[in-house]
Amino acid sequence: MLPVHIPHVRLAHLNNGCLHLQVNLRFMDLGDEIQRVLRSVGHNLVKLLRHLLWHLLHLAVSTWYFGLDLAHLLQHYLISSGLLRNYKVLNLSNLRCLAIVVDSEEAQHTSRVVELLSWLSAIGVKHVCLYDMEGVLKESKEIILKKLGDARPPEVADERSLFLERKHMVLEFVSLSDGKEGVAKAASFLCSNYLKGASSGEDQEPVFTEPEMTSALRAIGCGGPDPDLLLVYGSARCHLGFPAWRLRYTEIVHMGSLKSMKYGAMIKSIRKFTMVHQNYGS
Amino acid sequence: MVSLQLPLSTINNKIFSHFNPKPASCLCRVGNRSRAFPCNKYSIFRGGEGTITTATAEEERLLPDELRPELMPKHVAVIMDGNGRWARQRNLPTSFGHRAGVRALTDLIDLCCKWGIRVLTVFAFSTENWLRPKLEVDILMSLFEMVLKEELKILMRQDVRISVIGDSKKLPKSLQKLKTEVEDTTKNNSGLQLIIAISFSGQYDIVQACKSIVEKTKDGVIQPNDITEAVIEQELETNCTKFPHPDLLIRTSGEQRISNFLLWQLAYTELAFVKSLWPDFGKADFVDALCEFQQRKRRYGGRDS
Repeated sequence: MLPVHIPHVRLAHLNNGCLHLQVNLRFMDLGDEIQRVLRSVGHNLVKLLRHLLWHLLHLAVSTWYFGLDLAHLLQHYLISSGLLRNYKVLNLSNLRCLAIVVDSEEAQHTSRVVELLSWLSAIGVKHVCLYDMEGVLKESKEIILKKLGDARPPEVADERSLFLERKHMVLEFVSLSDGKEGVAKAASFLCSNYLKGASSGEDQEPVFTEPEMTSALRAIGCGGPDPDLLLVYGSARCHLGFPAWRLRYTEIVHMGSLKSMKYGAMIKSIRKFTMVHQNYGS
Repeated sequence: MVSLQLPLSTINNKIFSHFNPKPASCLCRVGNRSRAFPCNKYSIFRGGEGTITTATAEEERLLPDELRPELMPKHVAVIMDGNGRWARQRNLPTSFGHRAGVRALTDLIDLCCKWGIRVLTVFAFSTENWLRPKLEVDILMSLFEMVLKEELKILMRQDVRISVIGDSKKLPKSLQKLKTEVEDTTKNNSGLQLIIAISFSGQYDIVQACKSIVEKTKDGVIQPNDITEAVIEQELETNCTKFPHPDLLIRTSGEQRISNFLLWQLAYTELAFVKSLWPDFGKADFVDALCEFQQRKRRYGGRDS
């Protein structure tokens, strides 16, 4: 009888085997699925951690710069209020001439320029050279001098008195025409003088020297002392064509835009200048 | 003290504009040296003709991610200040500082060649430097000769054209002869033009231009009344290049002045004053200065649109 059941048993075994196989296969599929899910979760977790780390880094750097800006603001406030002793009294003996370069667009805000000049006058700066490319400040000269009250143009300033003893601030107004154009005119002046000498029988080699060029610039009205310090108010960190002949050893500081000028920042720059030592190349 | 500097506009423009952040290059200053954090393994480099090519992880050959090729300056000028101080800080003779400075210069020349800068002008020796102790001056003159001889082959391979400007009459005869040879040998090179200013000053340059003009007025080529800025410009020694006006001036060692360098030519040049001493000036400092140059709003008397 058994043999009669064997096919049933075998079938049953076979069926069970298939069932096991199917179950196994299903378990394997499930396992694969789980692995895939776990891998995906892991991958996303790593991505999330990377994002988090990156944002944390950005937050740290932003906080650092925010802190720096706050520190600068605080310092400027303390300087303005006179609480920092080091900034209260400045030794301006080395600051014979200070130049201000202003972006021509910002130079139209005459009130800001006047405010800046009154700060400089209050701390005892005796000679300021104001420059903008297009000559906007030159056109506003009368208004600026009137509003300042105690400033004089170079032509009426008392050149005989020592600069520290002057009661009034000397205020120069220059523009692009006093720069390269001025040098071209000075060259023309020197050439004309040389040719005059040559035509009157003086046979000499043209000996042009730097002091002669300086004298020629003065003769044509483009002279003036070399600024010791130049403050640039504008977006670009360049001197925008300030008379180049006068800039040999001038300290140049970029101050940002005129509309965001700060008394503390100005004082800080001037104080830093007073501590600079120059060896003039030697 | 370690201070962290990160180009935030780079972060704002590049990192938050897309979902997957990539590490921007961060600069961490330790003392006088800067080190860059690792950049991406792969970067996109935009070629000079506007094509975009992918490059491999050879960082030296690639323009750093934070620099835009179309905003690279054509002419960079450098006042290489700080060799003496660098040597004194290490209790070494000044000559060691100058030698270290030469290494910094050759590295900079490499970078300029790789990054497509057309002209590099370096202030090697000013007219005022003749006032330095004779021993130091003699060492410097010997160093110039040695470097020009040693580096000539390498610079030829790099297709660099060398020009030397300044009052050559004051230079030793051997250096004058070498100067002429080097300029002749490299005159047909079409890569980076390296202008070395030796015994040079901005005022000297203007005065010698005026002397040349006077000779022309003597010969009747030009009248004194016809002397204009353009006439002077043509006679300046920087007329040896197609791009005589630097776009960017870098001065090292923290000093903030031009010191009688290219006075006429720097009217609209961006001025970058870097705290590192010249021998410590490396790729990271150069990238910093170029980043600042590219990010600043630059106007030459025009108005914003």
